Amino acid sequence: MTHEVAEQPGREPVPPYARLEVIGGTTIIGIAALVWFGAINLAVGTLPNFGPGALPRVLAILLALAGAGVFIQGLVRREAAFERFEFALRPTLVIMLAVVLFGLFIRGGDFGLLSTPQLGLCVVGPLTVFIAGCAAPQVNLKELLVLAFGLTALMLVVFPDLLRLGIPPFPAILQNAIPPALGRETALRIAYAGYGAIALVLYLVFVRPDRRAA
Amino acid sequence: MTDLLQHLQLGFSVVFSFQNLFLCLVGCLVGTLIGVLPGIGPLATIAILMPLTYNADPAGAIIMLAGIYYGAQYGGSTTAILVNMPGESSSVVTALDGHAMARQGRAGKALGIAAIGSFIAGSFATLVVAAVAIPLSRLALGLTAGNYFSLMLLGLTLAIVLGSGSLLKAFCMLLIGVIMALVGADQITGEARLTFGSQVLYDGFDMAVVAMGLFGIAEILRNLEAPERRPFVDDVVGGLLPNRQDMKDSAGAITRGSLLGAIIGIIPGNGATLSSFASYVLEKKVSKHPETFGKGAIQGVAGPESANNAAAQTTFVPLLTLGLPSTATMALVGGAMTLHGVVPGPQVIDMHPELFWGVVTSMWLGNLMLVIINLPLIGIWVKFLKVPYHLLFPTIILLCCVGIYSVNSRPTDVLMVAAFGVIGYLFYRLKFDPTPLLLGLVLGGMLEDSLRRGLILSRGSFWTFLSDPLTLVLLGLSAVIVISALSPSISRGRQVLAEDE
Repeated sequence: MTHEVAEQPGREPVPPYARLEVIGGTTIIGIAALVWFGAINLAVGTLPNFGPGALPRVLAILLALAGAGVFIQGLVRREAAFERFEFALRPTLVIMLAVVLFGLFIRGGDFGLLSTPQLGLCVVGPLTVFIAGCAAPQVNLKELLVLAFGLTALMLVVFPDLLRLGIPPFPAILQNAIPPALGRETALRIAYAGYGAIALVLYLVFVRPDRRAA
Repeated sequence: MTDLLQHLQLGFSVVFSFQNLFLCLVGCLVGTLIGVLPGIGPLATIAILMPLTYNADPAGAIIMLAGIYYGAQYGGSTTAILVNMPGESSSVVTALDGHAMARQGRAGKALGIAAIGSFIAGSFATLVVAAVAIPLSRLALGLTAGNYFSLMLLGLTLAIVLGSGSLLKAFCMLLIGVIMALVGADQITGEARLTFGSQVLYDGFDMAVVAMGLFGIAEILRNLEAPERRPFVDDVVGGLLPNRQDMKDSAGAITRGSLLGAIIGIIPGNGATLSSFASYVLEKKVSKHPETFGKGAIQGVAGPESANNAAAQTTFVPLLTLGLPSTATMALVGGAMTLHGVVPGPQVIDMHPELFWGVVTSMWLGNLMLVIINLPLIGIWVKFLKVPYHLLFPTIILLCCVGIYSVNSRPTDVLMVAAFGVIGYLFYRLKFDPTPLLLGLVLGGMLEDSLRRGLILSRGSFWTFLSDPLTLVLLGLSAVIVISALSPSISRGRQVLAEDE
């Protein structure tokens, strides 16, 4: 394919392997293969009383056919030649890191390959906000820091305190160190009041002067 | 008729408890709050906020969810009018004339007529839902397993055909959804299916987790691609209340929109979007001054807004009477009901009358709250529009994490949300719309179950299975729809709709 073939100005034809529908079709066929592989040990049964493996197999075949259809469209359709597959990798990775960290450390546990300690919302909350915020095209670290603490304080107020949902607020070590005389609720309130104060101070020191200057 | 009134009375007695009024109010407010945030449509809003409803009792939870739904829709219209950024496809047409009005300094009137039109259409649609619910569910109770199977196929076919984008790709998504529904313990033998030895998957996929990933997180990833667009919002919104002339101009549009929306909403598929487009075209046709459309014609806001609200309401009909969600949003509502032990279907109306009529009347109440609470608060919503996205999305990420964790206290749910976020974004980049996937996920289990029961009853003979006239008609209808959708003229029409979005 040469550049003369390009019918639409400003758009160049994409080599077959990078075309949107070719990759899409391949993905679908891959999923179908995975399903087939997963259902391989399940009984198919008979028609009047079909087993757990019957439908997954039939659907996997249908899915593979449909995926092949998309794949062929990508090769044959004229417009398909101009659709390139694109993927914004950096924001995706950063956001995933933020969410996965939250999942791994909020209560901790054994995740097969690794086991993690409980760090609680107090630690995980600001981390998640801060890391997630770094996925933006332009990052303002100061504002993000204020948001991280302020938001965690708010979440601590709403979820464990007001709604009484069982979300661990403290790291495991700290939780056990809370003196019984103080009680968990008081500790929680001290924690969010403290976080709120940190956010406020950071805002006054970092963000407001910047805004004034701007 | 007296029956109808009695039922509505029962509904109001449920809704007018302090707790339920409060939940409806909170739902409307949070729904609007998240809905006005730029780049977050109703579906994402509901997916993000669903965990909040899990603490209430079944009726309360659904009432709150309905409030979130209307709030989110209204929020979408607000952004469409004020900043020309429709949060979802059903308010695309609203943006045409609504934003034109805003540029002429009549933003308040556009918002006002949108809310009033929505309320009138919503009240009408509530009556429609109440009136057709009982006959439809009586009808549904008489259906055999085979009938149900073919009815589900018909619904799914319509949903795919009336949606936008490539049919083949929609079919792929639907199949993946159905397969995902099969993952976990087999309904009869309890055998682990497609779990690849993972204990987490034995319970199957949680709809809230899948939806939050595919629609919530993936939406954020989509928005992060482009550099931040700062929406320009004027502080001056102008008077909110339309004057007598405005009302006179839009009365016809509201009436036609309500009727059109109520009818289109019952049909599976993206009723809200379709009806707002249809209403816009209709208004332009009947107008004496079609040239004013696109330049701030109030009918161009009143008609589509009424239509999409009426449709938003009547999309509850298939879910509540047949147990068949016809849109992704309804799939979520259905999932939430199941989670509370109320399996959507024809039996709900008899077994949980207070829940059923409570939900129906709460629709009306939700609309009323939108008018009397949201309109005066418009100034606050405008402020939220100005929240910069780089602070907004980390907030939503944390809200999603905390919300989904608090549902089951399972850290793996959070990890799964992350995974489905990537998958959703990948699908978006590959131009697969994951809406049918969610429908498949909700209906997959029922689909297999009714097929299995149908085949047992017919002793394994496909012919006996098919010989039931109703089954045959429904399957035939699905086939006709698929074939006609592939025909050139209709597929062109679908393409136009897809491009408009």
